[in-house]
Amino acid sequence: MEEELMESDSVEMSGSGTRSGPPPLSSLLCKVDPGSCGSERRVSESLSALRASGLGRHLGPWLLSTLQMRLATAVAPEFWAGLDQPENDLEERDRARVLLLAFHTLLEKLEPFIGGLEMLGRWQEEGRCGLTGPGTRALRDRAFTIIRARLLFSPPAVLQRRVLEFYSRTFSVHMSQEGQAGDAGAEDGGPDDGGACPGCVAPVGRCWCQEALGQLQELSGILSRLQLLEPVSSEAVTSIMHTLLEQRMEQHCRGEYERSFLLDFQEWLELVLGWLARVFASTEEGVGTPQVTTPARGASGQAPGSLLQQWRRHMHQFFCRVYVNMRIEELFSIIRDFPESKPAIEDLKFCLERTNQRQQLLTSLKSAFESRLLHPGVHTSDILTVYISAIKALRDLDPSMVILQVACQPIRKYLRTREDTVRQIVAGLTGDAEGCIDLANELSRADPVTLEMQDSEDEGSDPEDWLPDPTDAVKDKTGSKRRSSDIISLLVSIYGSKEIFIDEYRTVLAHRLLHQLNYNTAREIRNVELLKLRFGESHMHYCEVMLKDVADSRRINANIREEESRQGAGPGGEEEQQTPPPPPLALSAMIFSSEFWPQLKEEKLELPPLVSQAMEAYTHRYEKLKAMRTLSWKPHLGSVTLDVELEDRVLTNLTVSPIHAAIILHFQDKSSWSLEELSARLGVSKETVHRKLALWQQHGVLREEAGGQYSVLETGSSRERLERSILLLDSDEEGDSNTATQSEQREEKLQLFWAYIQAMLTNLECMTLERIHSMLRMFVATGPVVTEMDVNELEAFLQRKVREHQLMVSLGVYRLPKAN
Amino acid sequence: MSSQNTDPATAASSAALKGSEAGGSAARGSVTKRLQQELMTLMMSGDKGISAFPESDNLFKWIGTIDGAQGTVYEGLRYKLSLEFPSGYPYKAPRVKFITACFHPNVDEQGFICLDILKDKWSALYDVRSILLSIQSLLGEPNNDSPLNTAAAELWENQEAFKAHLNSTYQS
Repeated sequence: MEEELMESDSVEMSGSGTRSGPPPLSSLLCKVDPGSCGSERRVSESLSALRASGLGRHLGPWLLSTLQMRLATAVAPEFWAGLDQPENDLEERDRARVLLLAFHTLLEKLEPFIGGLEMLGRWQEEGRCGLTGPGTRALRDRAFTIIRARLLFSPPAVLQRRVLEFYSRTFSVHMSQEGQAGDAGAEDGGPDDGGACPGCVAPVGRCWCQEALGQLQELSGILSRLQLLEPVSSEAVTSIMHTLLEQRMEQHCRGEYERSFLLDFQEWLELVLGWLARVFASTEEGVGTPQVTTPARGASGQAPGSLLQQWRRHMHQFFCRVYVNMRIEELFSIIRDFPESKPAIEDLKFCLERTNQRQQLLTSLKSAFESRLLHPGVHTSDILTVYISAIKALRDLDPSMVILQVACQPIRKYLRTREDTVRQIVAGLTGDAEGCIDLANELSRADPVTLEMQDSEDEGSDPEDWLPDPTDAVKDKTGSKRRSSDIISLLVSIYGSKEIFIDEYRTVLAHRLLHQLNYNTAREIRNVELLKLRFGESHMHYCEVMLKDVADSRRINANIREEESRQGAGPGGEEEQQTPPPPPLALSAMIFSSEFWPQLKEEKLELPPLVSQAMEAYTHRYEKLKAMRTLSWKPHLGSVTLDVELEDRVLTNLTVSPIHAAIILHFQDKSSWSLEELSARLGVSKETVHRKLALWQQHGVLREEAGGQYSVLETGSSRERLERSILLLDSDEEGDSNTATQSEQREEKLQLFWAYIQAMLTNLECMTLERIHSMLRMFVATGPVVTEMDVNELEAFLQRKVREHQLMVSLGVYRLPKAN
Repeated sequence: MSSQNTDPATAASSAALKGSEAGGSAARGSVTKRLQQELMTLMMSGDKGISAFPESDNLFKWIGTIDGAQGTVYEGLRYKLSLEFPSGYPYKAPRVKFITACFHPNVDEQGFICLDILKDKWSALYDVRSILLSIQSLLGEPNNDSPLNTAAAELWENQEAFKAHLNSTYQS
C-alpha cells in the first residue's frame, strides 16, 4: 500500500519533468529496436539507451510491444517448429527430450525480456526514472499475459499431446517409486512384461525414471518462470487424474460392495498429490523436495501451497463424483446384496453428501427398479425381498427417508397390483416363506414399534436435531410427519390398511390350524402375540379366539373320549377299525366358533353311515357338555388315518382326506362300484369322484375296469401291471386352501364399491370420475381404504362397467343407463 | 318417548356442566359414524327401488330415490327426496321431504310428508333404510284420514283417474 503511494508520487514528479521536450520518439525507438538481437545484454542496453534519452515513461510500453512483436515473428513459430518433430521416428524418451528442449529454447528467447522487466523494476524501486502507467507489477502481469496469449491462444494439439504423454510418464514413475507400481503400471496396458521398469516401461537397463523426474522438475521450473505452469499443465494434469481415478475405480470398486474404499482412495490421493507437488513445484523451491509446504515467493504470482490445496479439493470432489456415479449405476445390485454391501452404502452416503446428485440417484434407481424388478417375470417374494433390502439400505443411506419414500413408490404401486402380495407378506411374517426370513426376524425384534405409535410425534428426539426435509421430499398430506422406516409398517401400508393383512393372516392361520390337526399351537401363539404388539390387541382378537378354539377343542375332545371309554365301547383303538360292530371310530373334532373364523369353503359330502353315526354321537356328547350349543360338521375338512387290509397285504397309517376315506369305506361293503353309484352315494360330482379314485388306484387298491366300474384288487399279483398306468395321479388341488382366496375377497370389495357407485349415481344423476373418487374416499367406511384405490384403478373399473353396459359415460360424466 | 330416544351424550353433558362442548363434538363424531354405518348397511342391503346417498361431502344431507312399488299407481315413477339429519340424530328424526313433486294424499305441495315415524313415532332404532321403505309403502297405502292433499285423498278412491292424473302431472 505504502509502496504504491510512493510509486505514484514518483511517477507524477518525473512525469512533469519529462513532458517539456521529448525528442522524436519514433526515430529513437527504431534506432534501439532490439528486434534483431536476442541477448539479454542487447535488451538491457537498449533500455539503458532509452532511459538515457529521457524516454523513461515510454520504457514499459516499448518493452511490451517489442515482446509482442518478437513473439509473433520469431519466438512462437520457432517454439512450435521445435516441438513438432515427426513423432513416429522418435521414442517416447526422445519425445520428452524434445519437449523439454523446446521449452528451454522458449525460455532462452524470452529471458532477455524478463531480465528487462526486472531491470525496470529495479530502476523504479530506486526511483531513477519516471515510469508511467501502472507499476512494475502490472507491467509484468501484462508481459506474461502477452506471452500466454501469443503462445497459447490456439496451441496446436501436439503440445497438449506431448505434455499429456510426458506427465503420464512422470506420474507412473512417481507412483512406482512410491510403491504403487501395480496400479500405475496397469494403466499403460498390462503389468510389466519381461523385466521392464514398472515406472517407465523401458527394459531395466535403459530405465530413464530418474531422468524423467529430473526433466519434470526442469520443465516445472521453466513453466513457472514463464508463468505458464497453470495454462500448460492443468488440462493435462486434470485429464490424467480423471482417467486414472476412473480406471482405478473401475478396477477396484466395481462390483465390490463389501469393503469401504474411502480410506484406500484417501491414501492414493495423497500419493497423487505428491506427484502434483512435483509438477507444481517451482525452481526456487530448491531441488528434489517436492513437498511444498511453505508458500513460495511471489515469482509465480500464486503460492504453490494454496494451488495444491485447490487441487486436493478438486481431486476430492472429483473422486466423490466418480464414486457416486458408479454406485448410482450399481445401486440396484448394492441393494440386492444389502446386509453385505453396507460398506458401499456408507461410502456412497459420505460421497453423496458432497455432491449434488440425489436427483440423479432417485431417477436412476427408480428406473432400475422398473426395468429389473417390476415385471411379470419376477416372483412376488423376490420383489418383497428386494423391497425389504431397499428399505434397510436406503434408510442407512438417507436417514430422512426421502429417497426411500420416493424411489420405492413404484415398487409399492406395483405390489398393490399383485394378487399374492399380502399372502407373501403374511407368509414372510409367520416364517413360512422359504427365502424370506427377514420379516420373521423383524417381527420378533426386541423393540417393535407399534403401528399406532408411528402416528404420534416422536417424543424422544431432541428439537436441536431436527433437520428440514430435503427439497426432493414428496409434499404429501402427512406434512412433516416422520416418514416411517419400519419395514413391517411400510409393507403393511402398501394397501393402506391393516385390516387386509389381519384378514389374510386369519386366513393363513385358519389354513394352518386346519391342516395340522394336532392341536399344537405354540408357534401360532407366538406369532399372534408378536403381531399383537404390532397391530394392537383389538385387531388380533379374532385370531386369539381361533387359537382358543383349538385349545378348547383339545379339552373337549379329551373329555368326550374319556366319556366314551367309560362307557366301555372297546379299547378305543387308534383309528378306524375294520372289525365288525360296533366300530369305535376314534373321532376327534376341531371345534370352531364360526363367527370368528374366516369363511370356510363349502363342499358337499355324504359320509358313510359309520362315520356319520360317530359324528352324531359326538354331537350328542358335545351338546351335553356345552348346553345350548351344537355342532355343525364340515365333513370335507379334516383328515382320516386308516389301515387298509387286503387279502395279501395291509396298507397302514395312510392319512387321506375324508372323501378318499369315504370312497374306500364304501368298498368295504361291496367290492365293485360304478362311478355313478359312488357319486350318488357321496353326493359329490362324478368328476371329483373320478379324481379322488386316482389315489387308490395309485396305491394299487382299486382298479378301473371296463364300463366305469371300479373294483378292489385283493391280491397284489396284478399290481405290477398297474404300475404303468398310474400316471393319472390325483392332481389334487393340494395347495388349494380351504378359505376364500384373496382375489375373491378383492372382488367382493369391488362389489361393495359398485354398490356405492350405483347408489350415488342413482341419487345424484351424473358425476365425473374425480367426484366419484372423492365420494368413495369420503364415504366408504370399511374395506380397503379407497385412497388406495387410486383414480386410475377406479377409472379402469368404471370402464369395465361401461363395457358391460352397466354404466354410461359421455364427456367424462358417468351416469347409469336409463333402462334401469 | 322410549328410552332409546334419549341421547346419552346430552344426558351426560347436562349432568356434568363442564365439558358439555366436548360432549357435543363427540356426539357429532358419533353421528357421523352412525350415518356412515347406515350408508354402508344401505349399500349392502341391495334393496331394489330405494336408494340414498350423501349429496356432497356433507354427510348430514342426503338425496334419496324411491321407485313406486309394483302393483300400485306409482309403478314406473321415480321420486327424489331430500333427507337432512339434525345433529341430534338418531335421537331426533331426520327432516325428509320430496324434491320431485308428488301427488299423494299425505304429501303437500312443498313436498312435506305426513308420516308418523318421521314425527312423534320416531325411534332411534329406525334408519334411512326403514324410512325409505316406509315412504315407499306409504305411496301405495296412503293414510286418507288425515290428508295433507285433500284433492288427492278424494281422488284416491278412483284409482284409474288417480293414475291418469299422476301420469299427466308427473315431472321427474
